[in-house]
Amino acid sequence: MMNRGTNHPAVEVVNVTKTYRVGHTDYPALRGVSFKIEKGELASIIGPSGSGKSTVLNLIGALDPPTSGKIFVDGVNLRKLNEDQLALLRNRKIGFVYQSFNLIQRLTSIENVEMPLIARGTPEKIRRIRASHLLKMMGLGNKLNKKPTELSGGEQQRVAIARALVAEPAIVIADEPTGNLDSKTTMEILNLVTQMNRAKGITFVLVTHNMEVAEMTHRIISIRDGLVEKEQVLHRLDSFTNEAKAIVPPIPVQPQTREPAPYTSPVLITHR
Amino acid sequence: MLKLAYKALADRKVRSVLTILGITIGSAIILSLIASSSGLSAGITSNIQKTGANILTIRNSGGFFSAGATNTYQLSQTDVSYLEGLAHVIDAYPYYSYSGSVVSGGSTLSTTVVGINLAALPVLYNGLTAAQGSIPLSGDVTAAVVGWDIANPVSGTPIGLHQMVQMTVSGTGGAKTGGTPLSVLANAILKQYGTALSSNVDDTVFISFQAAALLAKTAYFTGIYVVVDNTADVTAVQNTITAHYGSNVRVISPGTVLSSLQSITGQLTVFLGAIGAVSLFIATVGIVNTMYVSVMERTKEIGIFKAIGYRPRQIMAMFLTEAALTGVIGGVAGLILGYALSFLMGGELAGSTLSFGRGGFGHGGVGSASAVVPVFSTELIIFALTFPVLLATVAGLYPAWRGSRMNAVAALKYE
Repeated sequence: MMNRGTNHPAVEVVNVTKTYRVGHTDYPALRGVSFKIEKGELASIIGPSGSGKSTVLNLIGALDPPTSGKIFVDGVNLRKLNEDQLALLRNRKIGFVYQSFNLIQRLTSIENVEMPLIARGTPEKIRRIRASHLLKMMGLGNKLNKKPTELSGGEQQRVAIARALVAEPAIVIADEPTGNLDSKTTMEILNLVTQMNRAKGITFVLVTHNMEVAEMTHRIISIRDGLVEKEQVLHRLDSFTNEAKAIVPPIPVQPQTREPAPYTSPVLITHR
Repeated sequence: MLKLAYKALADRKVRSVLTILGITIGSAIILSLIASSSGLSAGITSNIQKTGANILTIRNSGGFFSAGATNTYQLSQTDVSYLEGLAHVIDAYPYYSYSGSVVSGGSTLSTTVVGINLAALPVLYNGLTAAQGSIPLSGDVTAAVVGWDIANPVSGTPIGLHQMVQMTVSGTGGAKTGGTPLSVLANAILKQYGTALSSNVDDTVFISFQAAALLAKTAYFTGIYVVVDNTADVTAVQNTITAHYGSNVRVISPGTVLSSLQSITGQLTVFLGAIGAVSLFIATVGIVNTMYVSVMERTKEIGIFKAIGYRPRQIMAMFLTEAALTGVIGGVAGLILGYALSFLMGGELAGSTLSFGRGGFGHGGVGSASAVVPVFSTELIIFALTFPVLLATVAGLYPAWRGSRMNAVAALKYE
């Protein structure tokens, strides 16, 4: 599933355009975008609203096909997949986290987390074990059977993150995951994300317009007017997690299953 | 999957309940109609079949529908001889039939008095046996075979074996007014039997042919029972007799009665079933509507399912499961409601056929006063449980398909 031992990036976007047609008018959302996100990275995509960052997210999330260009997720060329195969890829390789949590309101926390496993036919016993284990890791051990309406925003987002992680995806795409949360909860969630990133080697792609959040990641891809304006690879910023640890007790770290992404000296890549 | 479907339905309780109610009512109506009309048909069939399919009843045509008609043909010993001489005829038993009343312990019971060769009773009435005593084989003029209801009246003193039975018989040839008193000895008390040969055996006192002839003071019979050797030859014998007598007599065969009654009940079933089918159809349109609204309302949810990696056919299956579950609940509820409803209807049907029976067959009546017992065959139950599920699933197809085809990005944006 994780394609261990192969050397392709987690996400590779090659010269991608996306044009939306409304009536007889074409609106170019992306006008030739290329970037890579390495395995195990915690990356961010930033840009003002209308820049095309959400479009990028939908494209690398295999929810929408590009107008032209190629997208590889964990080495798989999305263009070669039919609808069923795309669904399967989303189920196995991609986890989604949204600003508005997007939990199913009538289901409990644990049931929400189980949903991706139901889609792939995992037996109920195993689903339960995995979902409850993840929720306990997220500090929600006592909220397994609560419905989203009975949870705070931060708790709902943690359920959503557990749902994104339960299928052990190669990448987790998070669209403004802290956009609806206060600053304390934002730190909690970001701490959780970095811990998961390090402990499990899961690649995270955060879409945000919050520069402070972006600066806590390894790679920042800035998008403006449908183009990559700037791409920065930063040092790992441990200070943020230390700061957050003061607020949130650390999550017991699982034995590392994968080498963390190699980080070299800071590089600043400026496109054009 | 089933649990998810259940939760989705439970989330929209009122609407789900209303949808299910539509299916329940439609299915219950169809079910109760079919069950009670096939119960009616089965009741009639079993009553007629008690007689044995090889027995023809010959009556003069006058007394049949127009009681007071004059100058009608009268059946006599000549006719018995003629009938006995026909090919395939084993025996011909003339009989007298009168209405009368039994006085027992101060209360008076209406009864039918039938004078016939008592030894022939087991031949004419399949499975007729005595609860007490034995059916006499000789032509003893004082002998009587008493029906269960006469021997065991609801109120009053039961008639015991070998006890004197005091009766008044009216409508006999010689009697003027008030009827002729008659005393006979109860040689046998019959077990409960029901209706056969167009009379209720339980309400009947059978006396010997000789006694009835003395009472009647006439050589003309009420009718003649003809026993045919083989069921297959019944129609041929019937045709011969009809050809001989023309319109002077009426030949009643169990087959003709059965087929005409079955065609009536069959038409009834089709007609009532059609009403039920219409209501089920309306319920189905209701499911289409409910499911469609449900799919549109859950656009965002569909988007989430797509993002999580549900394939289109899984999303379709999810909605179809909901629709099918609606059908399952509606079907089971419909079966229960239909079962209850059919007993109510059974009573109504019994009431209506009673008058029909009396009009057509003189005393007794084919329908009898007992309520129609609805028949729930295995096929009917299987049908009642599967058909609503099938309908609901078909109704869910289009909405579910629409849901599965939604664009994931647009669905996720939907608020």
